[in-house]
Amino acid sequence: MKRANKKGKKIIGWLLFLAAIGLCCVQGVYFLLENNYSVEYIDNRLFYVINLLIIVFMTLTIFLLLTIEKKWKIIISSFAAALILLQAGLMINHSYETKQVISFSPELNHQLVIKEDSDTSQAAYYRTRYGLFVRPKEDLPYQTSGDYKVKWLEKDIAAVTYEATDRTLHQYIGTYGARDGGISYSYVASMTRGQWKGETAQVTNSSEGIVIEHKGETEHYTHENMVQFGTLALVLMENNEAKWTIALNENFESNSNAPEPPAGEITLYKATMEKNDPISLEYISATD
Amino acid sequence: MKKIIIGTACIMSTGLLAGTIYFEKSSNIPLPAAPPPVQEQALQSSPQPESLEPIYEQEPIGYSFQNDQLQITYDRGESWTEVPIEKEKLFQGEYGGSEQELIPNSYILNENRTAFLYTEDNGQNGKRVQLLYSLNQGATWQDAMVQEEYAPLRFRKVDFTNESFGYVIISGDRTMSQEWTTVYTTSDGGENWRETARPDTTRLIFDGGFVDKNTGFLSYGTINPEEPDLYVTQDGGDSWNKSNVLVPEKYEKHFVMAEVPFKEEDHLAVLIKQGPNGDYQGGRVKGKFISHDQGSTWEFSKEVDPNETSE
Repeated sequence: MKRANKKGKKIIGWLLFLAAIGLCCVQGVYFLLENNYSVEYIDNRLFYVINLLIIVFMTLTIFLLLTIEKKWKIIISSFAAALILLQAGLMINHSYETKQVISFSPELNHQLVIKEDSDTSQAAYYRTRYGLFVRPKEDLPYQTSGDYKVKWLEKDIAAVTYEATDRTLHQYIGTYGARDGGISYSYVASMTRGQWKGETAQVTNSSEGIVIEHKGETEHYTHENMVQFGTLALVLMENNEAKWTIALNENFESNSNAPEPPAGEITLYKATMEKNDPISLEYISATD
Repeated sequence: MKKIIIGTACIMSTGLLAGTIYFEKSSNIPLPAAPPPVQEQALQSSPQPESLEPIYEQEPIGYSFQNDQLQITYDRGESWTEVPIEKEKLFQGEYGGSEQELIPNSYILNENRTAFLYTEDNGQNGKRVQLLYSLNQGATWQDAMVQEEYAPLRFRKVDFTNESFGYVIISGDRTMSQEWTTVYTTSDGGENWRETARPDTTRLIFDGGFVDKNTGFLSYGTINPEEPDLYVTQDGGDSWNKSNVLVPEKYEKHFVMAEVPFKEEDHLAVLIKQGPNGDYQGGRVKGKFISHDQGSTWEFSKEVDPNETSE
């Protein structure tokens, strides 16, 4: 019994030793990628978490595999505890320094990542690369006030609504796919030409712009006030503020090379920091 | 085994601490690795005023053609001033470039003077040659007429030798290798322009300029020139005479295109370069000639390495 216990301890000890070495390799790969490709962990705090695991695993390895004097046990434990406290402290400090927004798509295959420097209020949008890692793609155009609302409008469209420091409201849309096979760059405004109707809103998209009718109010947006993201979404602006997002649902087909009207649905999503649901719209008729 | 585990633990601890220090130092949010493509940049939400990239004339002074509008900056792009001119007017005539940069010599951009030579339709099937200029870094602009009617321009150059005296050299109406070249001068800072006499030649102009209000030069020959063809005026353009350039036999057929002469100590100097097919010492070496009689005759001084010249 005692021998089996000892053997089990040894196996666990070696497994922990290998795991610690493996995690060290992960950190090594991270530094390599960070240096060469400006890559970061999806959540910066992962760096400290991995370090903590390495410390714990390595300490347990020593205790499980080696027979050491009590004095050394105390020294090693104290050293490990100091390292753990250091890493934990730095991790907490980092949480204050960098605000991170990480949101997984409904099917968990896409991640929206935004990291904001708390000192400068400058936020950057990241694209995921190589699983755990992300790369900065672009800065959000405005300094943010720190609050973000993320809503996945589709499996591959994430709308980030945020307030800028000047209290104006903005939307940034992360897109992770395409429609119509994605063979060429396409314009959402021209693909959604026509009249669309949903339960509480109606959208009329014509050559003169887009008219939104919602709760008895009518708003008109010219083409100069539309900002496209990827090939999937369009943000409608007024007075330099985002008002609505129009996104192409997964079942949307533009039929732009055929005489038929577009098929499928589009989504209308109001820009507001309050909780709100996207409105699904169906095609009802053509416009000019 | 004990040594391996302890050794690994020590290495790991050291690496961990070093890695943590490095991570702490580098974990500020970096800027995006590459700027997003122009197409996407234009599509960003709530676009802020687009930042313009200056084409520097002489730092910190530069210009930009972004959004098809000529804009100038005197502070490395911190602030921009729109130049009240349509872009296409700056490129009318014989011009085959990309219109991304101003035609060399067709403008002046410095602290004291900003000027753009341009043409516009004069309503009589001809072109009016104008000079738009500002003496206060773009705060106010004056538009002076240089010539009421002219053919579409090929060569164009504007420059000032001091606050009041300036000149414009233009050529147009080219047929094969012949064209008209005209020189205009101003003595009131650019407000009024006077057409000068013209040399007795219709060869294609290569370059020209004045060193002071009296002494000016026109250098001809751009297609397979055989020898320098330099004309000089010593009376502000009222009369032009062919300069006598004494090219040593060794350099004949090599130094054939005279650049614009310049003042040097108590004499004038000119660099004469090789033609388009020049192959003397690689084709880039120029001959320096000097004149002690205000440009009437030129004597060879020395060969000049291309690195010593402005080119």
